[in-house]
Amino acid sequence: MTDIAVETRNTAAAAPEHMAWDSRARRMVMLWLPLGCFLLILLFPFYWMAITSFKPNAELYDFRAHNPFWITSPTLDHIHKLLFETAYPRWLMTTMLVAVCSTVLSLFSSTLAAYAIQRLRFRGSQYVGLAIYLAYLVPPSIQFIPLATMVYQLGLFDTPFALILTYPTFLIPFCTWLLIGYFKSIPYELEECALIDGATRLQILRRITLPLAVPGLISAGIFSFTLSWNEFIYALAFIQSSESKTVPVAILTELVTGDVYQWGALMAGSLLGSLPVAIFYSFFVDYYVSSLTGAVKE
Amino acid sequence: MLKTTRRNAIGLSAATLAACAAAERAQAQAQTITAADATAPRLPLESGATLRMLRPVRFVQPDEDVFRANCARFTQATGVQVRVDFVGWEDITQQTAVTANTGAGPDLIIGFNESPHVYADKLVELSDVAEYLGKRYGGWLALAQRYGKRHGTNNWIGLPFGSTGGPLVYRKSAVNAAGYERPPEDLPNFLDLCRKLKQAGKPSGFALGNAVGDGNGFANWVVWSHNGFLVNEDGTVGINSRETVAALHYLKELYATFIPGTLSWGDVSNNRAYASNECWLTANGVSLYFALKNDPATRAIAEDTEHMLLPKGLASASPMAGLTLNAMVFKHSRYPNASKALLQFLLEREQMDPWLNANLGYWAHPLANYDASAVWTSDPKVTLFRDTMRSPFWIGYKGPISEASAAANAEYVMVQMCASVASGQATPEAAAREAERRAQRFFRRR
Repeated sequence: MTDIAVETRNTAAAAPEHMAWDSRARRMVMLWLPLGCFLLILLFPFYWMAITSFKPNAELYDFRAHNPFWITSPTLDHIHKLLFETAYPRWLMTTMLVAVCSTVLSLFSSTLAAYAIQRLRFRGSQYVGLAIYLAYLVPPSIQFIPLATMVYQLGLFDTPFALILTYPTFLIPFCTWLLIGYFKSIPYELEECALIDGATRLQILRRITLPLAVPGLISAGIFSFTLSWNEFIYALAFIQSSESKTVPVAILTELVTGDVYQWGALMAGSLLGSLPVAIFYSFFVDYYVSSLTGAVKE
Repeated sequence: MLKTTRRNAIGLSAATLAACAAAERAQAQAQTITAADATAPRLPLESGATLRMLRPVRFVQPDEDVFRANCARFTQATGVQVRVDFVGWEDITQQTAVTANTGAGPDLIIGFNESPHVYADKLVELSDVAEYLGKRYGGWLALAQRYGKRHGTNNWIGLPFGSTGGPLVYRKSAVNAAGYERPPEDLPNFLDLCRKLKQAGKPSGFALGNAVGDGNGFANWVVWSHNGFLVNEDGTVGINSRETVAALHYLKELYATFIPGTLSWGDVSNNRAYASNECWLTANGVSLYFALKNDPATRAIAEDTEHMLLPKGLASASPMAGLTLNAMVFKHSRYPNASKALLQFLLEREQMDPWLNANLGYWAHPLANYDASAVWTSDPKVTLFRDTMRSPFWIGYKGPISEASAAANAEYVMVQMCASVASGQATPEAAAREAERRAQRFFRRR
């Protein structure tokens, strides 16, 4: 008897709140329909990319004879061509190396910069913050020629270091601004307590602020990684050897020959190239969401 | 690790023999190209020279293979190491800009069309090599001279390697069924053919989107075939003319016969539409024909496909300016003589003829004597591409080739003028005025 009562109570608690004005039709129009449209728009490009990767050329080019939204005789030819007839695995490794190194470098620099601007409050700190933000607004298409000069003079041209050291030019301003906002949401009183206990600024940063800022760091890291992974113009300008290219540039060079686009292999390259980012996101999605809602709930 | 077996050894020997035989055959063919005695320029190679070259990515795999093999032969002959990197067609312009503006990077670049004219002050003059090659191989063809020489001078700043044209590509069966043996040269009958194709459910289609090759090629044809042009001979803008307006009125009627969607067509769109029997008459390079021919699923379309130069209309020659490979040597190179020697070596018949053959006619030669190359008789449907570099038209016709003409082309001034009329956004008169205003921005400030 008691068990039944408890179970009934639990079921009632688990059921969604049902208001008088709520109805199935209303939920359909207000929730499921917009959500469905959103999912369709968001996922359709990925679906298209995936089915194109496995379609034989005959199906790819003839929409009259074949349903464009489905595959009748799937093939692995495009994947095989990509993996075994091009240097794709090497491009993938280069892209990974560049994205990871530039992300780590940017996060390290941004953390120190954001902490200094937000917490040390030195004279002109606000203006420094503003200047960093303005640097973010300068488009890469303007920066790439002066940066190319520097890259040449430092002897880094056509090496992964050319990208590892230039990507932070847009990653650091972005991450710094993200982290300034995040550090702002951590109560200053925590640091004051630590100061009273005799901790130094670096100790406070390492033992108090950074552990609380992990979701913010992960969020900044995800953004940096994705921006680095997808970057095109610097990778195009600073790398010329076929084997040192990153995925976004290399698949275009290798799989677009004049006006002949090898769509199957191109889409397979894009699909395989987007997987590491998707996996990266899936590991840290909880942190990412929590970072958007602030560090410490007061 | 490859295990050496008797079968492997026999297979390898056979492959090696086949490769040797092919190389010997190519060399024998090359000897059929007439070469006059001419004194080569004195180019003492710098000691310890190594070269780095950028060029657009291959059209077909043998293009890259033969090009690399030719560079390896240069290394064998001179001891100068050559490294060649291949760049996407859309990307070579940015790479050239970076190289020219930073004064570092590759020693030589094979770019497109007017690139050497944009960076003229950063380039090594190539007149000695050009004059030698011209004397040896029957002279440079018209388009090669136009793109190679600095305007109004005999100074060569680029060495054209080849050009690819975009003639009409059509289904013979459809054109015959419409009552024509081949597409007519005059504009009213060409319009009539397109109308009949549309009525038969086998429409024509030409790119009106921002397509580098096909879009510019079609827009230029529309205007040039009515004797219109973007720039006067003195470099002043001449697009807003009676001829241009007539051309745009004609386009409006022609556009009504196209397959839907051509306003958004890129370079690849007509290939897809043609390969899937949606479009039966278009303009394209030879790549479309070979893509159809090499795929068993579309071989029947290739067999029914013919090429024809774009209709002359009111012009004296077919209005078509091929996309031209144009090599340049940068002043920042520490090895200018070695760079020039490499270009000279690559354009000699022993290297050039096998390369032309490897490209199946995609790149048409810049020097007259290569007319005799076997590639032009290898497939009757390819022969027409032989004369691509004899065209009297060029991008920016009929003004001087300059940074301004390159910018006007890159900004699709002609294409967007045509598209605005075809889509009904502007009248022909208004579109010509707008094109004039846009073009003046580029030509006034230079």
